Amino acid sequence: MSATGATVGVLALQGAFDEHLQLLHQAATALTERGVSNTKWIFIEVRTPEELAKCDALILPGGESTAISLVAARSGLLEPLRHFVKVLRKPTWGTCAGLILLAEAANRTKKDGQDLIGGLDVRVIRNHFGRQTESFQQSLPLSFLGSTPEKASGTPFPCVFIRAPVVESILPHKKGIQTEEASKEDMVVAPSKAPVDELAKEELKAQVEVLAKIASRGRGRDNFNNTVIPREEDIIAVKQGNVFGTSFHPELTEDPRIHVWWLTDVLKAVERRKRYKSC
Amino acid sequence: MATQLPTRTTNGNGQNSNDSQDGENSFAVKAGLARMLKGGVIMDVVNAEQARIAEEAGAVAVMALERVPADIRAQGGVARMSDPSMIKEIMEAVTIPVMAKARIGHFVECQILEALGVDYIDESEVLTPADATHHVSKSPFRCPFVCGCRNLGEALRRISEGAAMIRTKGEAGTGDVIEAVRHMRTVNSEIAKAKGMSEEELRVYAKEIGCDYGLLKETAGLGRLPVVNFAAGGVATPADAALMMQLGCDGVFVGSGIFKSGNPEKRARAIVQAVTHFRDPKVLMEISQGLGEAMVGINCGDMGEGERLAKRGW
Repeated sequence: MSATGATVGVLALQGAFDEHLQLLHQAATALTERGVSNTKWIFIEVRTPEELAKCDALILPGGESTAISLVAARSGLLEPLRHFVKVLRKPTWGTCAGLILLAEAANRTKKDGQDLIGGLDVRVIRNHFGRQTESFQQSLPLSFLGSTPEKASGTPFPCVFIRAPVVESILPHKKGIQTEEASKEDMVVAPSKAPVDELAKEELKAQVEVLAKIASRGRGRDNFNNTVIPREEDIIAVKQGNVFGTSFHPELTEDPRIHVWWLTDVLKAVERRKRYKSC
Repeated sequence: MATQLPTRTTNGNGQNSNDSQDGENSFAVKAGLARMLKGGVIMDVVNAEQARIAEEAGAVAVMALERVPADIRAQGGVARMSDPSMIKEIMEAVTIPVMAKARIGHFVECQILEALGVDYIDESEVLTPADATHHVSKSPFRCPFVCGCRNLGEALRRISEGAAMIRTKGEAGTGDVIEAVRHMRTVNSEIAKAKGMSEEELRVYAKEIGCDYGLLKETAGLGRLPVVNFAAGGVATPADAALMMQLGCDGVFVGSGIFKSGNPEKRARAIVQAVTHFRDPKVLMEISQGLGEAMVGINCGDMGEGERLAKRGW
């Protein structure tokens, strides 16, 4: 592969953005050591539209999704973020709060609702497992990672769930907003955006892939007075075209495997964009 | 000079990040929530209505208490854990994490708060201490703890006891930021000092400041506290908040500063923006305009020694 440069931003309005940067640096080192690519990676913190404009790919970190979305709106970043994810269809990964922001629909939001970016045709339920005393860590085999030179396929990944959301259901792709979801009580949906060009349209054709699930856990108590639909498994990682979401926090571990996997995917997207532009 | 908090940090008890630490009570899970709060503002609220204002302003969490520190100061008497029903009302009103305070050493108040399901417990000098000698053993709790400190020794003692988050004590309820600055600078300079020490010197220093040697060594290696560290006690303006962030804090607690001011909604929003854009003077200039009256405040320099809350705890 030829030498390319790619800039990956981490939204740094609030939350565990620095942790993601640490893991990205680890992942870039791992990729170079493996000889997979000699890409020149640049990792930056994103707080302004100008910084976002420099990025080929973006991570929305864990944090408080309400705070992140309010600060994004007041910092003039909400629309540029929607443009980045849904019009340009550039690679974007959200963890925990980031997953909520990337969902087309979310429930159990604060009383006045909250602004979403959207991009993933899923409905996310916030604080699914309950409050902090129900937060937990569980090591899970993540088959989508495959085997790596360091770790065999199926080596469990330490998944940290902190007041975590899960994907409650996969939604059919709609032209326009998720109208059916929007009609439900206490539900917020993301606004619809048209992709910029043919390549971006391709990303939009992709179906939601479920990448990981966890056995449902009985909730200790229901502090949100919501009824819980019992299920055997909960969806904790999904990908649809350019958008990837995890309900847990790979940035709280020292295991860069997911970051390596995602950067490899980013690289492919950057190459695709480059080829598209040149023809 | 905010320094990086590596994902591999411990609390000196060998309770380490994620190596085979599955379960609910792992230190990574407790300290992890604090990491999610970084770059954010935690606001003191006394009822559900204030909690909603804080949430709409972009607070990352609220601290539920019956009286803000300024009122505790003015009214005097014994300050205790708040009525659980009042905390519950706040928990039901907002979706962001809810913290609550317990008296220093009062482990039963902590048990009650954990049973209530609060997201973080603040073993706080703002309330009247319940134990003259001991702080709560915090590690066995599933609920994480935040504790105040004035210096490095105090911070590391609290972390050894199990605190997953630290804040400066400052001087709560004054609106005077001088003590928060003093405590932050003291912690910073003591860490800088430890950084330059040999192993032998570190052992002597651990004895001198009364903390665990292993934890001090880790801190010296990191060049910062091994857990998230917020500023608290006297922050009243967006500029105060940005000042504390530039001194290296990870986020800010605002107590009386918001709801004792002329326009709480506007001030709360401005402080939230200030903590995100703390290095951008242009943004700070814009958001500092027209905030109405700040809380009146008490000058810490004119305060009698007996009135200082920061002296509680050791």
